[in-house]
Amino acid sequence: MITNDWHRRLILLILILPTIHTGCRKDPADEKGMVLRQALLSKPQTLDSGNMSDVYSMMVGGDIYEPLYTYHYLKRPYELIPLSADGMPEVSEDHLTYTIKIKKGILFQDDPCFRGSKGREVTVHDYIFAFKRMANIKFINVNWSGWQNKIVGLDDFHEYTRQFKDEYSVDYSKEVDGLLALDDHTIQIKMVKPYPQFISALADICLSPVAQEAVNYYKDEINSHPVGTGPYRLNKWHKGSYLIVVRNNNWRGEKYPTEGEPGDAEEGLLDDAGRELPFVDAVYWTIFKQQQPAWLSFQKGLLDSKSIPKDNFKEAITSETGLSEEMRERNIRLVKFVDPSVFWIGFNMKDKVLGNNLPLRKAISLAIDRERFIDIFFNGHHVAAHGFIAPGRDSYDPEINKCGYSRYDPEQAKLLIKEAELICGDSIAPLKLNMPGSGTFFTQYGQFLQRSFEDVGLTLKVDYMDLPTYMEQTAKGKSQLFASSASAVSPDSLDVLGMFATKNFAPGSNLFFYSNSEFDKLYEEGEVMFPSDQRNELYRKMERMVMEDYPAVFLNHRVSYVLYHDWNRNVKPHAFSFGLTKYRKIDVEKRNKYKDLLRSIR
Amino acid sequence: MNEDNINSFQRSSLWHDAFRRLRRRKFAMVCFWIVAGYFALAVFVYIAESIDPTMSAINWKEQLGQGMEYQRPSLCSVKTIFGTNFLGQSTLISTLYGVKTALAVAFAASVISIMIGVPLGAAAGYFGGVVDDIVVWIYSTLSNIPWIILVMAFAVVLNDDKIMGGKLSGEPGVYLAIGLTSWVGICRLIRGEIIKRKESEYVLAAKAVGCSNSRIIFRHLLPNVFHIIIINFSLRFVSFIHMEVIISFLGLGDANKPSWGKMISAASSELTRGIWWEMTAATMAIFVLSLALNIFGDALRDCLDPKLRMER
Amino acid sequence: MPAYIIRRLLYMIPIVFGVLLLTFLLFNVVGADQAVYRLAGNNPTPEILDDIRHELGYDKPLIFSIDSQFVTHVKKAVTFNFGKALDKEPIIDKLKNGVPYSLALTVPMFFGIVVTSVSLAILAAFYRGTWFDRIILLICVAGMSFPYLSYIIFGQYFIAYKYDLFQIYFSPQRSIWSNAALPILIGIVVGIGGNVRFYRTVMLDEINSGYIRTAFAKGLSTRVVLFKHLLKNAMIPIITNTVLTLPYLCLGSLLLESFFGIPGIGGITLDAIESRDFSVISTMTFIFSILFVIFNLISDVCYAFADPRISFD
Repeated sequence: MITNDWHRRLILLILILPTIHTGCRKDPADEKGMVLRQALLSKPQTLDSGNMSDVYSMMVGGDIYEPLYTYHYLKRPYELIPLSADGMPEVSEDHLTYTIKIKKGILFQDDPCFRGSKGREVTVHDYIFAFKRMANIKFINVNWSGWQNKIVGLDDFHEYTRQFKDEYSVDYSKEVDGLLALDDHTIQIKMVKPYPQFISALADICLSPVAQEAVNYYKDEINSHPVGTGPYRLNKWHKGSYLIVVRNNNWRGEKYPTEGEPGDAEEGLLDDAGRELPFVDAVYWTIFKQQQPAWLSFQKGLLDSKSIPKDNFKEAITSETGLSEEMRERNIRLVKFVDPSVFWIGFNMKDKVLGNNLPLRKAISLAIDRERFIDIFFNGHHVAAHGFIAPGRDSYDPEINKCGYSRYDPEQAKLLIKEAELICGDSIAPLKLNMPGSGTFFTQYGQFLQRSFEDVGLTLKVDYMDLPTYMEQTAKGKSQLFASSASAVSPDSLDVLGMFATKNFAPGSNLFFYSNSEFDKLYEEGEVMFPSDQRNELYRKMERMVMEDYPAVFLNHRVSYVLYHDWNRNVKPHAFSFGLTKYRKIDVEKRNKYKDLLRSIR
Repeated sequence: MNEDNINSFQRSSLWHDAFRRLRRRKFAMVCFWIVAGYFALAVFVYIAESIDPTMSAINWKEQLGQGMEYQRPSLCSVKTIFGTNFLGQSTLISTLYGVKTALAVAFAASVISIMIGVPLGAAAGYFGGVVDDIVVWIYSTLSNIPWIILVMAFAVVLNDDKIMGGKLSGEPGVYLAIGLTSWVGICRLIRGEIIKRKESEYVLAAKAVGCSNSRIIFRHLLPNVFHIIIINFSLRFVSFIHMEVIISFLGLGDANKPSWGKMISAASSELTRGIWWEMTAATMAIFVLSLALNIFGDALRDCLDPKLRMER
Repeated sequence: MPAYIIRRLLYMIPIVFGVLLLTFLLFNVVGADQAVYRLAGNNPTPEILDDIRHELGYDKPLIFSIDSQFVTHVKKAVTFNFGKALDKEPIIDKLKNGVPYSLALTVPMFFGIVVTSVSLAILAAFYRGTWFDRIILLICVAGMSFPYLSYIIFGQYFIAYKYDLFQIYFSPQRSIWSNAALPILIGIVVGIGGNVRFYRTVMLDEINSGYIRTAFAKGLSTRVVLFKHLLKNAMIPIITNTVLTLPYLCLGSLLLESFFGIPGIGGITLDAIESRDFSVISTMTFIFSILFVIFNLISDVCYAFADPRISFD
């Protein structure tokens, strides 16, 4: 039948077109190897250690880079231990000079940027380079704002780089007084003033050693060509879709920890104690843009672990502690951990209506039923927030709940609103809240707040905006109320206290434009204090001071949940640390049998 | 009889004829009444809301049952026939309220795109020359940008307060974004029709008796292509309702009021935990409306445009 | 003929310029500054923000100046040197990575739609007026009336998850065809309705014309008439119509890609708009508009070749 010309051509075209496409490629990680399959809920921005700030980049980058210090995998409370450093630092009397030794024999991964493509040994110069690079003004860097005015001479270096044409023409040979290489394996760092959080800041991936060869070789492409010293190296990164990391054969090696907190042995977390790391040969990170496929993939056994999105709480968890029947049938395990964080609705203190109206702010706090909120959105598993220093941080105040306005009391709220109207001289104008997203979670969150406001006679308009707009509006002080949250990066609470210091006015972290001279004085004091009971007392006092003025309604502290299949071994979530893949292990045989299990259930 | 009357006579017989033919098609008439029902509902919601937003029949905010939680569909009361959303608000009422949102968006967007497209197309076709070049340039430019990017860009711009001083978020933002980006089709169509007709005898006659250009366009030419506008309108309408879903899913819609798009997008995370009713209700509402509109639109086209009439 | 093509190609210039101007106005006047806050990280000082603005050239005048942002923007496009996205990846690389995946999704979809809908349209046209014709039309209209998003969400949940017939999500371990099978299928189902209706009208126009009647009168078999005469003549509008949709193929599909994890252009578009990465969007629209103009021209030329009555004057 097919005799006509066009017809034949069409068929030919159909046959040819598929071959234009790159088609299937060879699998980089051998199928037989132990492959961990993980989900990312957003795309990682970069794999350049110097410019990392988002969680997703760090989840992947944590396995590739090794900063000086890290937290112990199993021990709680969290304990800082050396990673690429050789022992804890020697600190001078005045807390201004740190002398740190690094381990010998650490190699960079093999990479074409090195001579002979062989990874060379790491020296302290690579750490110093990482510091200087961060200060390079031409290298637009998300982490620099945190290091201003900390290390002697680094700010001068920052100014000095201004004269160059671009990032790569900067001459790094200019010395920085505060960063001194005593020998190839010892570095001395001088601080401008005592910086008690310094060691935990050194646990940040952004200060991992960076090879200058790599930066010069790859230039901007270093974003997708990480050259690190960690247990894994990047094999393939298809932007926006998936990443594959595989074992780094140059890694110095490490053993699985032999001690943990009580209960770890029973959980089987110490079964591998003392064994050589890492266990897993490769990790597939898949980026999921939608919740539905991520959740379905996990249930199908195509992902080894998964944190629970809000909407799947009910399906996964039934009672206070237990998993639902369906999950248990599938041998899915659940682990929860306190993730020091706080969710809040912030007030713009510069706003005419809210700024000088304490009763109104308090009334809003009383209008929100936190228990209900947590019930709806987190299935009752988060903790209601009375202050902003979360449980799990070292200066958490167990008595903060006595402070007062975090309970649900619509009647008193209505009374307070009457008082507020007197201050205003009029009925309260409709309030406007900025929401940092427009997905289902945010719209439901917004609806909930609107309801709560309405119940006490206030009108709330919710403005759902994309993140860049939201950030711009809050930073410029253009929002009235705004929903936000903060997660801890270390057990220290100074960062959340900093949100209320006058000198951190937005675009800094003080988005509330809260200003209290007495608080500022204490903050100056607290900034240079080292962890001690005295400091905890001071922090608690400062927290109460803020709570008096109520610049924000604090809603809840997060308790995070991770679901994992029983073939995924050594799973212990960590609130601060990344790079945990090396501890993980997969029972491949069990995993292969999951299909049969699913069939038998059906 | 002057030429005006002849024209109007021809026109009225065209419409008269079309309605006669339309009325004979039973199925199309059923669809017409379904669409009319939707419109009546939308008007009812609109009026009821402006009188008393807390009226029980349209109060989608009302919380049913004890706590704020999902309730499965049950026959205990009319309001829970389709269950509730996470705050215990009736899905049925949200769906009905969604009729107003969807029709308002589609209607306003259609009107905007016609208000822009028809005059521009008519002017370009009638005057030709520079006017034509400019109009063609504008719509070629617009049609050269992928629709989805254009709509998202417009929605982002309309959401920003730098341009207009005030924000245009919510419903107006949605229909402006759709309307401002989708007038190209009708503009092209009208331009073509006008070019075809501007040399016809009645136009030449009108010119000969000294009618002004605007009179010729608005009194003579446009009425003769009116049926094309109507056909285009009816078919466009359906696609705008579907666009609203996609725009809501992308997070650019009005998040403060129930809309079908919002209900369906919520399902992308709710379906996995077995909450199927919200999405099903909204999907069915869209399905029935578009089906009816599509069938009626086809019938209308067949009857109004004999040249395009489908073979029976 | 060459003169015509050259004239058409010259006409491309004002249109592409218009596209550049419009994308620039839409994104740069509103959105650019917001990207700065993203790049600055947590708690920047105002000085840091100014530094970043300066480095990105956002502090230059918008349009009216020799080194204004608009001039830079046009220069970049004209020299085909599109520069880098905000995440420092060259924009061209970004697009190169995405296009094959988008095509792997849309090309089979396109052929699936054209082949099925043309065959259905022939059948419907041949049996016009019978119950068969009506049922096909009804199914098409019903298929068009079902929301796109519902197809995807229900399809993924029931077909892929509950009944395990297809893959739920993209995985690099499988071939792209097994990854893309379900989205392709959904795309075809969604696309068929409108196309069958369009092609059916085209076929009806032909079927009513004299030559078909003559062919039947000559006693040729139905098959020969349908395929040799009818389809051959109906190919003209079909080809000109499909050629115009070809540029869209490389844009992928926003919704399908995001639900099924196909790493194509759709995802890149979404990302770029979310992070206000204006340069990526403008490059994309620029390349697309050139493609679109060229395919428009091809479509017209095809038309002229197929139909000798049309001349280029």
